[in-house]
Amino acid sequence: MIGYYISLAMRSLRGTPILSALMIAAIAVGVGTSMTSLTLNYMMSQNALAHKDDVLYAVQLDSWDPNQAYSRSHNEIPYQLTYQDATALLRSDIPTRQVAMHRFGFTVTMEDAEVRPFTAETRVTTRDFFALFDVPMLYGNTWSKEADTTPVQAVVLSKAINEKLFGGENSVGKTVTLNGEPFTVTGVIDYWNPSPKVYDLNNNPFSDSEEIYIPFGLHRKLEIYSWGNNNGWNSPDTGIEGYEGHLQSESVWLQFWVELDNEAQKEKYEEFLTGYIRQQKEQGRFQRPLKFVLNKPSEWLVLNQVLKDDDRVLAWGSLAFLLVCVLNAVALLLAKFLRKAPEAGVRRALGASRKAIFTQHLIESSCIGVLGGLLGIALALLGLGGVRILAMGNIDRIASMDWIMMMAAVGLAILASLLAGLYPAWRISRTNPSVYLKTQ
Amino acid sequence: MFELKPMLSALWRNKVSALLIALQLALTLAIVSNATAIVKERMEKVARPTGMDVENIIAITFMPVPQDYDMAGAVTADLDMMRSMSGVVDASVTNQVPVSGSGSASGYYLEPNAQIGDIDSNYYQTDPHFINTLGIKLIAGRNFKPEEMGVFGSHENYQSNVIIVTRQFADEAFPEGNALGKFLYYGNDDKPMEIIGIVERHLGAWPSWTLAGNVVFHPLLIEGNHKRYLVRTEPGQRDAIFKQLEDKLAERDPQRVIHLETLSENLARTYVGDNLMVKVLATVMTLLTFIVALGIVGLTIFWINQRTKQIGIRRALGATRTNISRYFLVENALIAGTGLVMGTASALIINRLMVSEFSQPVLTLPMLAVCAVILLAVSLAAALVPAMRAANISPATATRSV
Repeated sequence: MIGYYISLAMRSLRGTPILSALMIAAIAVGVGTSMTSLTLNYMMSQNALAHKDDVLYAVQLDSWDPNQAYSRSHNEIPYQLTYQDATALLRSDIPTRQVAMHRFGFTVTMEDAEVRPFTAETRVTTRDFFALFDVPMLYGNTWSKEADTTPVQAVVLSKAINEKLFGGENSVGKTVTLNGEPFTVTGVIDYWNPSPKVYDLNNNPFSDSEEIYIPFGLHRKLEIYSWGNNNGWNSPDTGIEGYEGHLQSESVWLQFWVELDNEAQKEKYEEFLTGYIRQQKEQGRFQRPLKFVLNKPSEWLVLNQVLKDDDRVLAWGSLAFLLVCVLNAVALLLAKFLRKAPEAGVRRALGASRKAIFTQHLIESSCIGVLGGLLGIALALLGLGGVRILAMGNIDRIASMDWIMMMAAVGLAILASLLAGLYPAWRISRTNPSVYLKTQ
Repeated sequence: MFELKPMLSALWRNKVSALLIALQLALTLAIVSNATAIVKERMEKVARPTGMDVENIIAITFMPVPQDYDMAGAVTADLDMMRSMSGVVDASVTNQVPVSGSGSASGYYLEPNAQIGDIDSNYYQTDPHFINTLGIKLIAGRNFKPEEMGVFGSHENYQSNVIIVTRQFADEAFPEGNALGKFLYYGNDDKPMEIIGIVERHLGAWPSWTLAGNVVFHPLLIEGNHKRYLVRTEPGQRDAIFKQLEDKLAERDPQRVIHLETLSENLARTYVGDNLMVKVLATVMTLLTFIVALGIVGLTIFWINQRTKQIGIRRALGATRTNISRYFLVENALIAGTGLVMGTASALIINRLMVSEFSQPVLTLPMLAVCAVILLAVSLAAALVPAMRAANISPATATRSV
C-alpha cells in the first residue's frame, strides 16, 4: 500500500510541477539555512575532553587588584595564574597530574641553508601535558621530571613539524635549533588538534594546536615571555628588577590544569588551595575575598564563551526562518490538497477510510520532505563553504558536516514536512464525500 | 466601494490559509527588522574611520635567530634601508600592529602615586616617523623629536617623558579640552609624562573594544625578542613594494624570521565576524522575503483558480477588470496588514530578548516601520500579477460551465 501511495504522491507532484517545486524549495532553503547555522553551533560546542570531564579542572585563583574585580572574565576571576602561584601550586603532590603552561614562539633554523628560518608555534609546559590531555605519542615520550624545574633543552615535536624537519622518521635523540640553541628531541606526538582548543581558549579557540612543546624549567635561562594574554594591574612594586621582576610580579599569564581522580582528592585539593591563599594573604597578597574555582572542561568552554552571542542569534534566526518555510509549505500543501478534494471524495465514496486518505496525503508531504531535505543538505554544504570563505580560514575545521549532522539534516527535513503535511492531510481526510459526488 | 463585506466572508471561508500567510508575514517582519538592526550596527562599526592610510601600509614582524642580537642596530639599519626605497613614503618601528587584534593597554593616571581612577588606553611604542607612516593627522602640539627616543633593554624600567595621544583619549582625560602640556602618570609612580601632541584619531589594536580609539604613543624602542615595522607606500605601489621588502630584509640580515602582511588584511581579519554576520543576515533576509513572496503568489493563484466561476459571474454582471484586480489586491492588503500588525508586536518582543540575552542592538520604531512598509509592498507586488490575470477571465466562463 505504501509503495502505491508513494507512486500516487510522485504522480501528484508531477501534476503540479510549479507548486511542488515551490514547496520543495521552501523546505530545502529552510533546512539548508538551519543546518548551516546548527552545524556551526554544534561544532563550536564540541568538547574534546568530554571523556575526562569528571577528572580535569582548569584552576582559577582570585589574585587580582584589591581595588577592583577582574573585568575581563565572566566570573570576575582571572582566567590565568601568576608565575609565582603556578610554581607554588606545582609543588603540591595531591593531583594525579598537573600542567602549568603558556603559548610561545621559537625561530627554527635548519642545517639546510636553502630553507629560510621560520617561527614555530610553541607551548611551554610541564611534562604531564601529554598524559593529562591524552595526547597520542608517535615516538619517544615526554621529558624528565627535572626538566620542569631546571633548565633542560628538550623538545617534543608535532607530527607535522617532525615531517618538515626529519622527513617523518623517528627523530628521538636528534637535535633541533630553536632561537639558535640546540634542543634534544625526546618525543614526537601523533596528529592531535582539538577544536575548540579547550586547553587554551585565551586567543583564537579555533586555532591549531602547537607545533613544538618545551619544558617549563627554561623560563629563567631563556627569559621566556608569554606570547598569549598577559594581564597586569597596578600592584605594589616588588623592588625586583629585570626578568626576575616579571616572574615575581602580579601579572597573570599561565594556564593551570589539574587531574583529580575522585571526590576525596578534589576536596583535599580544595583544602590545599584554601590553605595556600590564606598563607599568601598573611604575606599581603590575595587581598580580595578568598575565591578560587576548579572548572571542568565543559564549564571552561562555557565560561570562556566559545559559542558567541552572534552564533546563538544566527541559530535562533535560522530556526525561525525554517518555521516560516514550514508555514509556507503548510499553506501551499493545503491549497494543493483542497484542490484535489473531489478525488479524495470519490475515494471515500468507494470505501477508503479516513485513515487511508490521511496516510496517503501524509506520505505525499513526506516525499516533499525527503526531496527538500536532500536538496537542503546540498544547500547547507554550499552555505558552510560560503561561511568558510567569509571567515577567512579561521574556522575551516568547524564549518564542515559530520555524519551526525547529515542525518540530523534529513531528520529535520522530514520532521518539517510532516509538520507541514499534518494539518492539510487531516483537513482533507475530513472531506464529506457527498458534497463532491453531487457536483460531479 | 471595496466590497469589504463579501471579501471578509470569503476570507472567513479560507481563514486557515489567510492566517498562514499573515503568520508568515508576521514572523518575516520580526526576523527582517531585527536582522536589519544588527546589520546596520555592524556596517556602521566596520565603516568607522581608522584614522590611518590602511590601504597603503605594510606591517612587518621579525624575530632574530641568535639570543644575543643587536636589536637597536638592526632596527636603525632596516628603517634606513626601507625609507630609501623608491615608492616608500615612510617607515617606523612599533611594538604592535594597529587593528591586528594584538596590542597592549595600560592605565594612565592624572595624579602621581595614584592607585585608583585610571583611564585605560591602548598604547604603542614607536618613533617620530609614526605620524607620517600611519598617515594620521596631528591636530595640536608637535611630533616627537629624534632626541626624545628612548632605547631600553626589555628588563630595564623604561618610561618616556613625552607622549602623543588621540583626541578621544585627550577629551576623556581632560574634558575641558586643555590636554596639551598636561602630565600623566603610571600607577604607584611619580614620573610625569607630558602630552606634547594630539592626533585626530587612531582606532588602536582592537576595534571591537569598548574603549577603541583611546591610544597613547610613546617614543620608545624596547629591545625584545621581536620587533615590528610599518611601511607606508605611494598609492598603488603597495603590492610591488611588498614583494621587494621580504627579499631586501632577508638580504640585509638572513639571521631572522620575517613575516609581512598588509594592514588591509589585518583589518579584514579583525572585522571577519562582523562581515560574516552582515552577509549571512543579508542572505537570510533576501531568501526569506523571496520565499514569502512566492508563497503569496502561489496562494493567490490558487484562490483565483478556485473562484474562476465567481469572477466570471461578476464580470458578466458588470464588474470591470479594475474591480476584479482591486478585489484581490485589497484582500491581500487586509491579510498582509493583519500579519504586519502581529509582526510589529513580535518584532518588539523578540528585540527585547535580543538586547537582554544576546547583547544585540535596539530596534528603533522608524526602522521597524520601514521594514513593514517594504514587506507590504512586496506582498502587494506578489499579488499583483495573479490579480491582473484574474481580471482577464472572460465573462463567458461563467455561462459556459453552468
